[in-house]
Amino acid sequence: MNRLIVLGVAILVGIIALNATLFTVQQTEQALVLELGEFQRVIQQPGLHVKIPFVQSVVKFDNRVLNFDAPPEEVPTSDQKQVVVETYAKYRIADPLLFFQTMGTELRAQAWLRSNISASLREKLGAVQMAQILTGKRADLLQQITDEVGVKAKSIGIEVVDVRMKRVDLPKENSNAILNRMTTQRRQEAAGIRAEGKREDQKIRAEADKRRTVILAEARRDADILRGDGDAVATEIYNKAFGQDPVFFDFFRSLQAMREGLDQGTTYVGPASGDFFRFFGAAPAGTKPSPAPGP
Amino acid sequence: MPWQNQEGPWGSGGSGGSGGGGQSPWGRGSGGGGGKRPPDFDDLFRKGRDRFRGWFPGGAGGRRSIILLVIAGIALWLLTGFFQIQADEVGLKKVFGRYWSQVGPGLNYNFPAPIGEVIKPKVTRRNTVEIGFQSSSGGSRTTGVESESLMLTGDENIIDIQLAVIWFIKDPELYAFNVREPEGTVKNASEAAIREIVGQTPFELARTQGRAQLEQQTRQLIQKILDNYRSGIEVELVQLQRIDPPDAVISAFRDVQAARADKESSINEANGYYNTVTQTAEGAAQRLRREAEAYKAEKVAIATGETQRFLNVLAQYRNEKDVTARRLYLETMENIFRNMTKVIVDTQAGAGGTVPYLSLNELLRAEAARRQSSASDKPVEGSGQ
Repeated sequence: MNRLIVLGVAILVGIIALNATLFTVQQTEQALVLELGEFQRVIQQPGLHVKIPFVQSVVKFDNRVLNFDAPPEEVPTSDQKQVVVETYAKYRIADPLLFFQTMGTELRAQAWLRSNISASLREKLGAVQMAQILTGKRADLLQQITDEVGVKAKSIGIEVVDVRMKRVDLPKENSNAILNRMTTQRRQEAAGIRAEGKREDQKIRAEADKRRTVILAEARRDADILRGDGDAVATEIYNKAFGQDPVFFDFFRSLQAMREGLDQGTTYVGPASGDFFRFFGAAPAGTKPSPAPGP
Repeated sequence: MPWQNQEGPWGSGGSGGSGGGGQSPWGRGSGGGGGKRPPDFDDLFRKGRDRFRGWFPGGAGGRRSIILLVIAGIALWLLTGFFQIQADEVGLKKVFGRYWSQVGPGLNYNFPAPIGEVIKPKVTRRNTVEIGFQSSSGGSRTTGVESESLMLTGDENIIDIQLAVIWFIKDPELYAFNVREPEGTVKNASEAAIREIVGQTPFELARTQGRAQLEQQTRQLIQKILDNYRSGIEVELVQLQRIDPPDAVISAFRDVQAARADKESSINEANGYYNTVTQTAEGAAQRLRREAEAYKAEKVAIATGETQRFLNVLAQYRNEKDVTARRLYLETMENIFRNMTKVIVDTQAGAGGTVPYLSLNELLRAEAARRQSSASDKPVEGSGQ
């Protein structure tokens, strides 16, 4: 019975001892071993490690690429325009000892990043015009900021991998002004298009009316020509025929004229003279008068 | 007292002293009660214990039993080290926190916790990062996120863009151990990239023909950024879900479309008018021409008819001039006088010295009356030959 208790106690003591001596460093971690608060060594290799219990302590840091999201900042450019910039930074704890001595925690590192990035931003963006940020120059500026902050960050054991602008916008009033501009531009364009439409419409209608006039005029011309043709051909026919004997034509046509002209209902008041009445009074010479009709 | 005289119910060491010990509550020895007795639990327990103790000559508290117990415990614990990797996964084995090796799908083994650990990133799964919108859990509806979706274009206009970035794990080791918060990293990089690219593109181009180019360039830039971080992530695709003018100005943009439609319909109407008018005019023109043609034909026909008639008569006349002339003359006059009101007077005033009195008015009035009455029964009179 006692042996059990003894064994149990021994195991317990063993576990405590192990805990105080052994420690693991994850693949994503790096560690500092401190002896009574003083730096003893740095561990970059993951795995199981040994330390002197109680005398030595371990401080662990992340060895991965870490992220920092800066809050939005309004930064003036060289042409007095304000831009609202939101950046993020990627950094690594490259020198854990230095980091531990200067910063100690990621929180403080983030505060450091925030103020230094802000300063660099203001300096770089304040030197260029707003329009230039909206070009390929932006990549340039970002590289400059990254390098500048990177150099400073060495002093706190940090490697700055990247600084980028997540958002680059104009302040609300400017944005509204732009939206207004976009709106009025479009409205003008729409009005212009409609005016064009009207213009075209009138042009086509005028063209239509003109066309109609031309068509009718041409038709009238052609019709007149045809009629003239008709008259000419008819006249030719007449001339060809009547010309064969103009005297007879005169006679024949006059007879016709009289017949048509002196139509029904005309009254003749006059003597029985003229060629028609030649034999009105007497039979022609050489003809015997017919005997008077007998009973 | 009965319990004062011995060391313990189990007697001193050695063989199981069941004889001295307990008393079966069901009776003493054989005999007692009729028929079968219920199983003797106490007896069984004793037998089992005896056999068990046979293995441990040192007794229940002996060293060897403890060692065997411990070994059994360890074996059991070791058995929990088996794990399975699915087809879309990869297994990263860690021992004491240190990355050891990569294993593929199937059954595998690693030291169990707390010594070993297995990370299983899904390397074939396509992940999506949404910029400018959020799809609901059903995936069918999206809501815009204006702070993410509105951005400046190269010509200082504002555009509304929603895009989806589709990525997968290319290098599991890098992915697992190199960058903290990989999802957030992709989102940050994507936002920065799209804004940079759009910031260099004019508004109209981005909205119309530049879409494919935008997607390409953004994908390349995001990849470049992620590679710079050695994230082990590959961007498969950047899809522009929506690229529009901001909501506030959309009605003005739509008005431009409407204006174009209006212009077209104005022109169409005018063209319709043009067609109608010209068709009508053509119709009238045709009619004018036809009428003229008819006139011409008529004129020629009449002329031909008349002249033919004349020529026929002329031929007869040529044969017998005097007779024909005379005949024609008399026929004509006959025709004329037939229907005339005649008053024959002798103008040679010498005969008898009568001065004729002509009441022309009455004559004409009578003539008019006659004309009216004979108008109803019109004589069909041809000027015969």
